[in-house]
Amino acid sequence: MEVYLPLAEMTVPAEAVIALGTGVGFLSGMFGVGGGFLTTPLLIFMGVPSAIAVGTQANQLVASSLSGVLGHWRRGNVDVKMALIMLSGSVLGSLIGVLVFKLMQHIGQIDFLIPFLYVLILGGMGSTMLFDTIKGLFVKTPVKKRGSQFYKKGIWRRLPYRMRFPRSRIYISALLPAGIGFIGGFLVSVLGIGGGFLMVPAMIYLLGMPILLVAGTSLLQIMMSSIVTTIMHAVANQTVDLVLASFLIIGGVIGAQIGVRVAKYVSSFYSRLILSVIFFLIAVRLGVELFIEPADLYSVEVRE
Amino acid sequence: MMMLRGIFLFLMCGALLSVTGASVAVADEDGFVIDVSSNEVGITTGFTGSSFTVFGTTRQTGDVAIALYGPSREVSVRHKGQLLGMWMNTDSLAFYDVPVYYDVALSKPGKDLAKQSLLIDNYIGLNALEFRYKGKKSNESKAARYREALIRNKQLAGHFPLIPKNVHFITDRFFRADFTVPSDVPTGRYRIRGFLFKDGALIDQDEIYFRVAQVGMSANIYNFAYNSGLLYGIIAVILALMAGAGAYYTLRRD
Repeated sequence: MEVYLPLAEMTVPAEAVIALGTGVGFLSGMFGVGGGFLTTPLLIFMGVPSAIAVGTQANQLVASSLSGVLGHWRRGNVDVKMALIMLSGSVLGSLIGVLVFKLMQHIGQIDFLIPFLYVLILGGMGSTMLFDTIKGLFVKTPVKKRGSQFYKKGIWRRLPYRMRFPRSRIYISALLPAGIGFIGGFLVSVLGIGGGFLMVPAMIYLLGMPILLVAGTSLLQIMMSSIVTTIMHAVANQTVDLVLASFLIIGGVIGAQIGVRVAKYVSSFYSRLILSVIFFLIAVRLGVELFIEPADLYSVEVRE
Repeated sequence: MMMLRGIFLFLMCGALLSVTGASVAVADEDGFVIDVSSNEVGITTGFTGSSFTVFGTTRQTGDVAIALYGPSREVSVRHKGQLLGMWMNTDSLAFYDVPVYYDVALSKPGKDLAKQSLLIDNYIGLNALEFRYKGKKSNESKAARYREALIRNKQLAGHFPLIPKNVHFITDRFFRADFTVPSDVPTGRYRIRGFLFKDGALIDQDEIYFRVAQVGMSANIYNFAYNSGLLYGIIAVILALMAGAGAYYTLRRD
């Protein structure tokens, strides 16, 4: 069934979009990731303009991160104060991201910037995770309650605006979580990805947050910043396609149901291994494309 | 007051009479008229493209060309080059007044219709698509390459024709041409122009307009997004929140 996307002004096969949403939902149900890293490149590959892909993906992230955050909320694993401080940074990051996106579009580099950032981020994450997972096979490291004590050392201590976070039981400069939020907000608005896979390690290692609280808190922050980003894209660029978003969300709900059930039968070792391989493969796929000479060196863009 | 109104009415009637009188006279004299089977292509949620027919009559025999022009825009053509081994856009050229959609039907090959300059002036036929560009006139060879790439890319997207369509003469006075537009046809006001040639000279022409626009739910979403972006964004967020909460509560097993 072909369906017309009113803002993208084009037709896509509804089955393909639902299948994409299902695949992404499956990943989020199984691994607890947002899955935006898969949606944006695949939508662009289907011919959806990159601006619409990113804007709509931000809307889809609202749905998937809320259903994630509710689970953590019920178990009390969310540090709301921390998430709010991160949000303050992420609003700025997402505002700058929207501007960078517009600028890159204007100078004709957005179709280079998106895959390029994907290659850097996913390639880096994928190889680090793969390395750690395989190393974990041979070297048993004791499970720590807290991440490194990095945040207690050096310049991080000297940053101003120190603040108490009673839920996480830490006393750190508010600039640290705000800075992490800044990167998260930037990623949502430029790439349509929540950036949880970047924020989670940063919250453990840089902030020294208890690991138990990290997932729920980062999801809450992703949810809030994707709400802000969705509204910003809708107001500034009209790039949130409701028809596309509904098909992605429908697929996502179905996929998440399957993913959560399958996750019970897969050990955390394999799930991390699979996830890192997926990251790595997407990075390689997009990376190779940057280096292969395109069939047509020319491209055409209609100015509005 | 009454008198003023009387004078005004009198003037109005005169103006109306002269306008209608003139247009009737034009149609009568020339006898070359085109029309289209529907004045609007309505894009609905299930839109997969559409077809329509342009038909017309002519009093004198001749060769007919019918051209379809979408709204004109500025178009950037970009060229990729290598930077550190990676392919990215390194050069570009902008063309003015490029119709975002173009199609043409001819009753015989363009080169037999009329002089090239005449065809170029009216954008009749693929060889006549010469767009103006921004920049120095000295760079003509670059412009030619970019123009060719522009046409090739638009053809690939299905927005420019690969070959001209045919104008069929049903009788030697009555003709028709069938057009189809793809599902991603750009929206806007389209201009359809008919040209009558005889022995290489343009002897008459007629033009009509038609609209390509979203209708129904599609149009509502589009207008909502553009007219009240903030409310649209908020509603998009609320729908997503409802879906997310719904997903969580249906997933919950305990």
